[in-house]
Amino acid sequence: MSSGYKSWILLTGFILFYVAYLLLGALVFSTIERPVEDKLKSDIQVLKEEFLNQSCVNATSLENFLEKVLQANKYGISILPNSSASSNWDLASSLFFANTLVTTVGYGHTTPLSDTGKAFSIFYALLGVPFTMLVLTACVQRLMHPVTYGPIDMCRQRIGLDPLAATAVHFAILLLLVVLGFFVVPAVVFSHIEDTWSFLDAIYFCFITLCTIGLGDYVPGEKPGQKFRSLYKISVMVYLFLGLMMMYLVLRAFHRMADLHGLTSFFQLPHCDEDTEEDKEPIIEADPEDQHEAEASAKPLDPASQTSYNTINR
Amino acid sequence: MAAPDLVDPKSATHSSKPRRSFSAKSITLSPTEECQAIATVMKWKTVSAIFLLVVLYLVVGAAVFKALEQPHESAQRLAILTQKLDFLSTHSCVNHSQLEELVKQVVSAIRSGVNPAGTLTNHSSLWDLSSSFFFAGTVITTIGFGNISPHTEGGRIFCIIYALLGIPLFGFLLAGVGDQLGTIFGKATARVEKMFVQWDVSQTKIRVLSTVLFILFGCLLFVALPAAIFKHIEGWSALESLYFVVITLTTIGFGDFVAGGSEIEYLDYYKPVVWFWILVGLAYFAAVLSMIGDWLRVISKKTKEEVGEIRAHAAEWTANVSAEFKETRRRLSVEVYDKFQRAASIKSKMSSELGLNSDPELTPPKRKMSVNFTNELDREKEPVSPPVTNKNGSPFLNGKGVDPKRGDIAITPQVEVTTFNL
Repeated sequence: MSSGYKSWILLTGFILFYVAYLLLGALVFSTIERPVEDKLKSDIQVLKEEFLNQSCVNATSLENFLEKVLQANKYGISILPNSSASSNWDLASSLFFANTLVTTVGYGHTTPLSDTGKAFSIFYALLGVPFTMLVLTACVQRLMHPVTYGPIDMCRQRIGLDPLAATAVHFAILLLLVVLGFFVVPAVVFSHIEDTWSFLDAIYFCFITLCTIGLGDYVPGEKPGQKFRSLYKISVMVYLFLGLMMMYLVLRAFHRMADLHGLTSFFQLPHCDEDTEEDKEPIIEADPEDQHEAEASAKPLDPASQTSYNTINR
Repeated sequence: MAAPDLVDPKSATHSSKPRRSFSAKSITLSPTEECQAIATVMKWKTVSAIFLLVVLYLVVGAAVFKALEQPHESAQRLAILTQKLDFLSTHSCVNHSQLEELVKQVVSAIRSGVNPAGTLTNHSSLWDLSSSFFFAGTVITTIGFGNISPHTEGGRIFCIIYALLGIPLFGFLLAGVGDQLGTIFGKATARVEKMFVQWDVSQTKIRVLSTVLFILFGCLLFVALPAAIFKHIEGWSALESLYFVVITLTTIGFGDFVAGGSEIEYLDYYKPVVWFWILVGLAYFAAVLSMIGDWLRVISKKTKEEVGEIRAHAAEWTANVSAEFKETRRRLSVEVYDKFQRAASIKSKMSSELGLNSDPELTPPKRKMSVNFTNELDREKEPVSPPVTNKNGSPFLNGKGVDPKRGDIAITPQVEVTTFNL
């Protein structure tokens, strides 16, 4: 009973800490952004007044016009002349949209306008999101062997480090490689292709995308007159998928490392309780796995032995 | 008889029912989820097959979206262009370039979150404390609506660092909430199961029933009810509210609809309640999504298993049946042989009693009998074999089932031995 009690206390502690973290973030964002916002507000007010002063337009008709323009802009339609060429829903863009839907990034630069589109998005997402998660975890599971277990073993055998140090060193190297390969290099590429983006903007974009936050303030390929737009969008999709896989991989490696170092048990978090020997089993042979599965499935369900729903399939 | 149990493949696959795991937020908890799953690593073939399937899914989705949305988009574009031309024609002192300049500025202001339409004096800031709190929440949960986003360099750098620390933190929180939800649900299911076990309902049905109940109840509490509330407060349509709920709780977060993002006067506690709903709803959705993922995984595994198992079962069944068959034949042949032996001994006794009436015709049948007997055994597919056994398993009851080739000796211990059909 005490462990249940303890878990409740830990949970409340987490919640409180989380709320405090949010408050801190709110304070900082507020202090940083507010002055800029005020300045922008006054600028736009001045602009409007200037426009009204020098023309015969009255305030209300301008307001109406602006409302409509903004409404259209919300859906990604701009009335500026050089942007009318490409559609937001040609095949490559729709593919990009479907990809942002399914990976839960969700930029929001284009959103479904029609009711049918919205209804379809709901079903598409409900099915596609777990599907994508399944694919990503399957790929990551496969990749763990060559990327994590292999090098760690090599470290241990060749250099002779003990397991804890080996995992820590390996994780540090992995993190460095991922940051270089999936943040810095793509940021350079993006800042080169997109005229209006600085290097910081590009890194910000990469980070916001790969964490699947997807604020949508920066979206690649939206510039009017973008050359090879379809190819560009598709390569961004590939980047997104690979990057997500790498993030999962890093997280998993981190989790294993934390496990080995005893951090997870300290915080009473779920363990990585799969054995490393099992993971090192040759993957090509199907028979040991199938045998194991057949054995497991042959045992009848015993209601009394199930302490938690999660253990049913063991 | 072991065969009937094995013929039914369902009994062997009943344990691969959908497994529900609550500690499964999409990003940070997939390691956790993974660890609680069976540690089976898929082959490259399977992974690439699933990958191709995902690509196909994306292409199909893209085609459908294109077909649905492009007409709307063209209509909107046309409408706004007509508006623009109307405006320019009614207000002749404005020229194209001026208007476009204004529009450009307005659009970039909108992107920064400032709404130039309407008077700006009583417009509340997008970065007051409660809205910043909400924004911080959207960053950490990775929903990322985008209706507000940082525009200063400092804001963006801070956003990156903030998210790096906050997303795992939120992941742990979600794990905790999900586990609590899971234990509550597990206890409820256990109680329901105890009730149903008395009525002798099968385990699988209970599990399926409880999963369905969980989904329905959760949908009601976390999806339908909030959607109704949003419809009422925000003034959206029913579909739009549902769309917002799903897009938010799967952390996609487009931002075209945001609760608390429009110009309405909200109650003070509205936004915190929305945030709390997001937290619990995310845990619920993570559970549902992981359940769907488990089903997809189980389906692919199950088909593989079932194909393999069906083959194995078929082989075992045929082996068993043929073994049984051989056993029965062996038993029967032993019985028949015994009976013939007895008949032969009785006959010899009788012939000795009757004196030296050694009927030469009697002996050949005996020999013929033995010869035919061995032939009988070899010819298992003879139509003779079924008549050999009748219901009681005793051969030649009432003298029926006689083989003319064998020299028709009907032998029953009960019938008078004097009746010999020759």
